[in-house]
Amino acid sequence: MNILVVLRMIPDSAGELQLAEDGRSIDREWLDFQLNDFDDHALEEAILLKEAGGAKVTAVAVGEGANRVLQMAAARGADEVVALQCEEDAMISSREIAASIAAMARAKSADLVLCGVQSSEDVFGQLAPYVGALLDWPHVSGANRIVANGAVLRVTQERGAGVAVTYELAAPAVLGVQTASKAPRYVSGSKLREASKTPIGRATPEPSGLERAADIITLRLPVQGGSGENLGGNAETVADRLVSILAAKGMARN
Amino acid sequence: MASTLPLWILVITALALTAWRSRRYAAALANAPAAARFNRPMLRLQGVMVAIGMHRKMLRKPLSGVLHAIIFISFFVLFTATIDAFGSRLFPGFSLAPVGGETWIAALQDVFSVLMLTGVGLALYQRYVLRPARFDGSSGSDAAIIYVLIVLIVASLLLEAAARIAGGTDGSWRPVASVLAGLLDRAGMSAHAGEELFYWVHVGAILAFLVYIPGSKHRHMFLAAPNIYFRNLEPRGLVPAVPEAREVPGIDSLGQFDWKQQLDLLSCTECGRCQAVCPAYAAGLPLSPKLLITDMRDALAAGPSAAPLVGGVISEETLWACTTCRACMEVCPVEIEHLPKIIDMRRHLVDEGLVSPGLQEALSNLTRLGNSMGKPSKMRSRWTKELGFPVKDAREQPVDVLWFVGDYASYDPRVQEITRRVAELLTAAGVDFGILFDAERNSGNDVRRAGEEGLFETLAQSNIDEINACRFNRIMTTDPHSLNALKNDYRHFGAAFEVLHYTALLAELITAGKLDLHVADGARVTYHDPCYLGRYNGGFDAPRALIRAAGYTLHDMPRCRENSFCCGAGGGRIWQGDDGVTERPSENRIREALSLGDVAYFVVACPKDKVMYTAAIDALGVAETLKVVDIAELLVPRTSRAIEMPTVET
Repeated sequence: MNILVVLRMIPDSAGELQLAEDGRSIDREWLDFQLNDFDDHALEEAILLKEAGGAKVTAVAVGEGANRVLQMAAARGADEVVALQCEEDAMISSREIAASIAAMARAKSADLVLCGVQSSEDVFGQLAPYVGALLDWPHVSGANRIVANGAVLRVTQERGAGVAVTYELAAPAVLGVQTASKAPRYVSGSKLREASKTPIGRATPEPSGLERAADIITLRLPVQGGSGENLGGNAETVADRLVSILAAKGMARN
Repeated sequence: MASTLPLWILVITALALTAWRSRRYAAALANAPAAARFNRPMLRLQGVMVAIGMHRKMLRKPLSGVLHAIIFISFFVLFTATIDAFGSRLFPGFSLAPVGGETWIAALQDVFSVLMLTGVGLALYQRYVLRPARFDGSSGSDAAIIYVLIVLIVASLLLEAAARIAGGTDGSWRPVASVLAGLLDRAGMSAHAGEELFYWVHVGAILAFLVYIPGSKHRHMFLAAPNIYFRNLEPRGLVPAVPEAREVPGIDSLGQFDWKQQLDLLSCTECGRCQAVCPAYAAGLPLSPKLLITDMRDALAAGPSAAPLVGGVISEETLWACTTCRACMEVCPVEIEHLPKIIDMRRHLVDEGLVSPGLQEALSNLTRLGNSMGKPSKMRSRWTKELGFPVKDAREQPVDVLWFVGDYASYDPRVQEITRRVAELLTAAGVDFGILFDAERNSGNDVRRAGEEGLFETLAQSNIDEINACRFNRIMTTDPHSLNALKNDYRHFGAAFEVLHYTALLAELITAGKLDLHVADGARVTYHDPCYLGRYNGGFDAPRALIRAAGYTLHDMPRCRENSFCCGAGGGRIWQGDDGVTERPSENRIREALSLGDVAYFVVACPKDKVMYTAAIDALGVAETLKVVDIAELLVPRTSRAIEMPTVET
């Protein structure tokens, strides 16, 4: 089985986010970028499938810092790693990259395309459905367990309150991964160093062929502070203050 | 003599049995990877003299030390009797009489027989009446068998001499045996039969002892001296590198340990001093440094088995419990090296990706961003923004002192205040200093000790490259962990920096008259020696000098200096959960400080300690009684207003 995994680099949320001058995007110049967490799980699921039944895993990364993440993917067990060139200093639009991913899936004779169910820049979770549609392959999102039996895939999807459904579908398919069957593994520094010699392939983007359907008109950063009060560390004064706050809000009698 | 042949047969049989019982150990040592422990013979010999001749570490526990010294000296004196017993019958005609065997040597044997029995008596008293907790887990039957054999050997020696005296030999050089001769006489025992009986009991017990030793902790009779001789002479703060001959970073079978690491296992006396000082053991975690060693020793003795070393003989939880505080190695009388073994086995776990979620997050953050908190590098120097003056960028301009700030001192809001205080003190003393800003990375001290050798190399190389690109005279850090890595571990890359702890630099500035301080009124404080400043790097005196210079009276805790008790944060523990902990080491330590009864401040000199002990004091609800202050907070330049420390009732 040939598996293609998509790894998207997103702004590190621990950094200081600032708006760009146009007020419609984030100023990406001073940001650190990290791998989208759901994509990390997609990679892990791909490696688990490889370990369970054998597969060739190709990881394709998009965005700033892609090389570092591809070395990590190689250290974890990806057989081939490719960096997809993308427009600098722009957010990664699923609509934009879907055609490139679909083209690569064909070029690599993929039987399975895995990506994270969503990213902080695609809260719609559009990548898997777009790629599925372009390839005309079945697609399931929100997967938290994938079992492959030849070309037959069993995909479990969590629906909240512990309810889980399992689909059976035939490869080739596109799956949006919510969580891997096991937490993403740690890859040691020595393995990373070894993997740093892995050659990283390059791929140029395909034109998306799609018109822009909607535009971002504003982007707003969270408003900070003003909502909390530190009650201190002394149990008695904390209790006094708590009682008076509750009383003031009419939630307790003083 | 008629007994010569039977004795030869007995001796050869016993020697053969002893060799047979030692075969596995001998094979293990012979096949073990090499270790470079043959340099500097005079220094090595000197260490053996101090450790054994002076009983230096042994005497730190006075009763054990004295009783062991008695047994040890008596053994050498009574060895003359052993030579006599075997020599006289194996080689008819042999006798010690010409050199005093029947006069002064006889007198010494007589007196030291009683001393030996006294020593064993004290040992029995200690083991069965006092019952120190450090013996928990040690083999009780092994100890009992040894006591019985020693008593049998010494008693038979005395009684054999007594029987000879009863038979008419002159007893004037053997006062104790003479008294016993009277008793034998009264018991109506035939002198000749008695002499033969006690002789054979004596040689039989000695040979039984010899055969017994290979499977007993009493191996230390033969192995303690070599184990001390071949001890590690490298700096205490330098973790042994992964040998080039090893293909993977870690160790997952006993045979991969070099011969010195295996000799350690065979030399253990089960005295439990390591267990008594271990913070992980005290915290209720599944780590006893003694059992770590004896479990591996027993696996070595059992020979190849199906159980894996890591996760089998030694559990993962045991390996992760260690704070690498080095207290175990500090107290071990036979210089066993616990930490290199733990770190080598952790290297295996890390290479296999078997790490706890907390550690995985910290290590992933360190890989990605160079700090364990997951904060952007650009925020590393944010603490400088609230200073009233700019801090020099050491990458841009030459400085006298390059300040390596460290993760906690840079990022943790509880510590940033102290970091700024140090910057103010340096400025007040006119020190020309600068920092690396966002180019600094975690020093890798605890990364290395968590077994992440590859990541350590990446972090260290990055720091070394940045430091080498700066112009400076000395490096200073407030963080003992960074101090240790920069000073010791970075030698691995050929880097030789002069690195100072801020307490040493400040003490130097005060001595030079460059820093004039407000002097307090002698209030009593206690001080916690950080492991990586004190035990690892000998920084005991500068912090104490600073406390005195600031006008405070130091009341040390019982466990201070080399015997300091770890806060529980080291070796990567700070990144792991508290699962299984019954009493946090930091809380144990705060209780110790409270028991002093007269100190208001718990003085620290390590950013992690500020974090750990502030949390411990909050958890114990004693914030009104004891306050954690960094040494930098005690030091107030005269040029600034004296800082009102909150008064604390004692």
